[in-house]
Amino acid sequence: MTAVDLAFLLNAAIAVYSGWRVFRTDSMVRASFLLLISFLAVGAIMLLLGAVYLGVAIFFMMAVEMMIMALFMVMFMMNPAGLNPMNMVHQERISAAAGVLAFVALGAVAVFGEFPSRPKPEGLDVVARLGHELLGDSMLVFESAGVTLLATMIGVVVMSSRRGRYGDANEGSVPPGLEPGGEPAGQPPDDDDEEHGCH
Amino acid sequence: MDLMLSVIAVLATLSVGAYAVAVIDRICGVAMGGEATGGAGVHDRRNPFLAPLSRAAALWLAPPHVTEAPDAAGWRLAPVLYLTLAGMGLAVVPWSETFVPVDLATGIVLWGALEPLATVLIFLHGWSPNSHLPLLGGYRYVAVGLSYILVSMFVLIAVALPAESLQVSAVVESQQELWNVVRQPLGLPLFLIVGLGISFWGPLDFADSNDLAGGTSAESSGRALLVWQFARIAMLVSFSAIAASAFLGGWMGPLLPGPIWLVIKMVFILVLLLVLGRLLPRLSPERFMTLAWTVLLPLAFVDLVWAGLEALS
Repeated sequence: MTAVDLAFLLNAAIAVYSGWRVFRTDSMVRASFLLLISFLAVGAIMLLLGAVYLGVAIFFMMAVEMMIMALFMVMFMMNPAGLNPMNMVHQERISAAAGVLAFVALGAVAVFGEFPSRPKPEGLDVVARLGHELLGDSMLVFESAGVTLLATMIGVVVMSSRRGRYGDANEGSVPPGLEPGGEPAGQPPDDDDEEHGCH
Repeated sequence: MDLMLSVIAVLATLSVGAYAVAVIDRICGVAMGGEATGGAGVHDRRNPFLAPLSRAAALWLAPPHVTEAPDAAGWRLAPVLYLTLAGMGLAVVPWSETFVPVDLATGIVLWGALEPLATVLIFLHGWSPNSHLPLLGGYRYVAVGLSYILVSMFVLIAVALPAESLQVSAVVESQQELWNVVRQPLGLPLFLIVGLGISFWGPLDFADSNDLAGGTSAESSGRALLVWQFARIAMLVSFSAIAASAFLGGWMGPLLPGPIWLVIKMVFILVLLLVLGRLLPRLSPERFMTLAWTVLLPLAFVDLVWAGLEALS
């Protein structure tokens, strides 16, 4: 067994174990970070496979992604900082069955499938090849996905921003009236007087 | 043999560099006044060469602090892993034409990946003690950190453009004729801000600031705090190595051997950062966020376009 084999087995074990712990932990922040560990181990396996760009890309993509996910989950849920124990799973039986089924199916493909044996040619510049692929034949797909994601991000920032078209949200932003000093235009009829007590 | 040499080079640079930073920062503090890390101000009469060592010894002997229901694993791991990131960052920096500890083909991207990973660890360090002030520090760091990680990515892509490679050694060699600090004048100033940010130093000390009574390390003491402080300085050292390689021609220089030139340039960057850390005021986090998104990020775009036009011509 070479060092690469050993590193692969170690990372594979870490990926599977921390992936399993995601569902056994009782805190949202822990679950996000365990998932991050799982992805980082997968990124290390990609590096072992010689995918030097994609492996490192997984590191920074997943780090930012899991950090933001943890932050938003804590922000939008009534659980101080995600340290209070809480049940992290629902629909357990269906999920467990789906998980086992997917694992068996993918495992069967891995074990029984016949993979072509095409070792990387000597002197192949993987990063340059990937760049030519992404910005050559696959450019339309790649750029459409990129621009869509960017538009989504900007949209989310605009929607969650305190500043609105008619003033700051925390100061009761309402559109101006149709005539000076009139009722705010385009507002739904005000029928939620009782609801205010619930907040 | 090469592996041993690489490990020794990285560990020795981090340790000696961290000591040097602590000493230089104290000397700056005495000369310029003001409070920064370690509380060394203008009235500090202690020997600047011994004071960091005595502080480290005091922390080593201090008892650990325990809070109610912390995430023990995260709290202990965060400083160690943060130190590991500093080591990983230093490992991709070439010391000479032939000696590169880890000559990763995507070294520049790895540096881009260290910053978000550091963000995760700083948040973990603030979140895991289960206490208010550290948590605020952690949240603050994430909010502010995301704004300059983007700046860092654009600046790093810009230095990779003339090299036509993501390898740090290729980026250094692309500066044979002209250093990037001249070729892309916006790059180094923007990248220095990232350096202050990733080690939450001086004006960008939002995570461990004194208005939060120490922020993420408010509940830390003893050896855990020692490792955390050491890791933070080590990150600054590691950053100075990548900044010197990306903008000041790294190991290249006349007469002297490569490693000496790299060290000279690292010391230059470190002194610059420490003096800036003493001189610049710390903005409130929301004002810095506005500055980062509306001024620094567009400047990073300009830097990237500049680099692209320069590479085309």
